[in-house]
Amino acid sequence: MSQPALNQDSLNQDLRRLVYYSRNRVGGPAAMNETIRGILAASRTNNARVGVTGALMFNAGCFAQVLEGPGEAVETTFERIQQDERHGEVSLLAFEAVETRLFTEWSMAFVGASQADAALYGDMAGESGFDLSRMTGNNLCAVLHGLALEEEAAAA
Amino acid sequence: MPAFMSALAAPSLPVSLPFEAALAEMAAPLLLLDAGGTVLFTNARAAALLSCAEPVGLSLPVLLAQSGAAEPEGEPVLEAVRATRPARARLTLDGDRRVEAALAPLSAGGFALTFEDVTEQLRGAALARQEPLTGLCNRVGLHDRLHAALAEADRTGAPLAVLMLDLDRFKAVNDTLGHPVGDALLRKVAERLRKATRSGDVVARLGGDEFAILQAGAEQPQASEALARRLVDLVGRTYVVDGHMLNVGVSVGVAVAPVDGRGADDLLKHADLALYRAKAEGRGTYRFFEPAMNAQMQARRSLEIDLRRALALKQFDLAFQPQIQLETGAVTGFEALLRWNHPERGPVSPALFIPLAEEIGIIVGIGEWALRAACREAASWPQPASIAVNLSPVQFRGGKLVETVMNVLAQTGLDPARLELEITEGALLENTDSVLDVLNGLRALGVKISMDDFGTGYSSLSYLQKFPFDKIKIDQSFVRGMEGNAECGAIVRAIARLGASLGMRTTAEGVETPSQLDAIRAEGCTEVQGYLTGRPMPAAQAAALLSSSPVASPADAA
Ligand SMILES: Cc1cc2nc3c(=O)[nH]c(=O)nc-3n(C[C@H](O)[C@H](O)[C@H](O)COP(=O)(O)O)c2cc1C
Repeated sequence: MSQPALNQDSLNQDLRRLVYYSRNRVGGPAAMNETIRGILAASRTNNARVGVTGALMFNAGCFAQVLEGPGEAVETTFERIQQDERHGEVSLLAFEAVETRLFTEWSMAFVGASQADAALYGDMAGESGFDLSRMTGNNLCAVLHGLALEEEAAAA
Repeated sequence: MPAFMSALAAPSLPVSLPFEAALAEMAAPLLLLDAGGTVLFTNARAAALLSCAEPVGLSLPVLLAQSGAAEPEGEPVLEAVRATRPARARLTLDGDRRVEAALAPLSAGGFALTFEDVTEQLRGAALARQEPLTGLCNRVGLHDRLHAALAEADRTGAPLAVLMLDLDRFKAVNDTLGHPVGDALLRKVAERLRKATRSGDVVARLGGDEFAILQAGAEQPQASEALARRLVDLVGRTYVVDGHMLNVGVSVGVAVAPVDGRGADDLLKHADLALYRAKAEGRGTYRFFEPAMNAQMQARRSLEIDLRRALALKQFDLAFQPQIQLETGAVTGFEALLRWNHPERGPVSPALFIPLAEEIGIIVGIGEWALRAACREAASWPQPASIAVNLSPVQFRGGKLVETVMNVLAQTGLDPARLELEITEGALLENTDSVLDVLNGLRALGVKISMDDFGTGYSSLSYLQKFPFDKIKIDQSFVRGMEGNAECGAIVRAIARLGASLGMRTTAEGVETPSQLDAIRAEGCTEVQGYLTGRPMPAAQAAALLSSSPVASPADAA
């Protein structure tokens, strides 16, 4: 699913990366489970259709996401996410033009210290192709990763 | 047409041939039915409208069904045929044509059924109630829906709520990024409003950045409160438009029927009053209407009426407060302070009337008057002391400030070096670049520029870097707090040092006690202004003070 998006990047002058983090407003593990599955399903189809890739990190405290793709597609995807009331206090950290993608697919992973949550969502990272080294290799993404860890601690 | 002729041969319908020709060519679509509802005659228009080549002989229910008219819509007509009554009904035919059908029993038996195609008319009416940019309802549409909802609520006793919305900081987006970006933002805002509301709610754009929502069929005030809270959250989230990250907020005013009003006008007005309050109390928030708001708005309006004529009636005056050089104790100059003395109200507090004058824009005229009066007065002083005059952020917007100051200096003959214009951080908040241009233009005239109320804003420090102010005036809250609060002392010290290292003078404002004076002297401020060293005084007294005391010329103090 990532190949078409990538192949077009060389033609696409307007590649953008958007980075935000937000507070998780989903209450309780059952609702969280449903939410995560829902986001996964919606994102897989919607994002692939418009050539958006990226990574979504989550834990009981927050979401932290990187979205990459054509400017217009990133804007529309982000606008839909902004209207989602399962999270709030969305802080937009960056929206910038970039040369290449950091993430070749859309992936997500539980990021945090909670053993219970790690057991619940741990397999999702492998399944969705989440690559922590890409996260920590880029400066801004490393900041985002750090923020996510802090937010979990604060929510605990 | 034998079938038709034979039907006509029946004694009940004595139609002669010229009649038939007339009916056939008539512009209005027409069917003639027998008493049982079977079609006896159709003109070409009706056949075309119903998309049926040969309706004659069909029964009305069959004909309607063939033409696409849905069951329940046609029922009143069929019912009227059975009861031999007249009827009117609106039908939707194939191809989304909307027609108005009128059934009339004929005295000789049978019926005439005529149609009027109202498709365009309805489309036009819908368009007239729609706002083209966002596709939301417009003001007319909102009024219609509100009237209908109120009539319904009157019958059922169910409450309904009107929410008035106004975007915060939208104008800044439009001014800096242009209308196309502003319009795209408005479309996104409209989309979020639709998303936050339920399908039965009416969302309207009333113009500019004003929106309204009509919420019926929900428990009040709980539902409108929950909605208002969601709106403040959702609309206030960052937008990404055309590669720009944009932040606007929304203020919301709510009025609930029947408690806050039973009529549309009252409800809208009261929701507006609540909105006004929400904006006055910090924006990005919501308020419900309270009856006291009516009285407060009336008081404000009457103050506004008085304020608008105060300048013409010469009710303004200036008071002059001395500024003292700490090192020598000499008077370096005065700050001109605006006073409004109303014949019935007495002295009105500047804290009350200046924000109002700014809001309604007349601060520009009042400010110019104050500038001219202060310069004229200072030009007449026996000593070349400095004169400080406050500028409102609003005065920077008209694009005429530099010209005004130049004219005033020319008219009064005051040495530009003696004039100090004081601005607050508020002036720099919006359109910083164009304000900096104006400041540089003023500086080029030879006047001095001070940063007033320093330390109270968000980013005062960054402004010091953007413009080389001649003077920093430390806000009185820090000076007052120095006794008993070590942090205030530290802040005053830091600002004084900062000023010294940037080559800016520092004035401590609001000094009221000898121990405060000692403290600010110890922290290294260069000047002081406050009740202890001199209250605001009439012009004559200020001039007298200058003749009796030694003066440090502004040049010495600099
Ligand atoms: C933190 C967070 C991240 C999300 N990320 C995406 C995303 O990358 N792509 C997407 O289509 N939807 C995403 N969603 C879901 C959207 O908000 C919305 O529910 C979804 O796009 C609706 O899709 P559908 O109309 O196909 O059901 C996210 C939601 C949340 C709370």
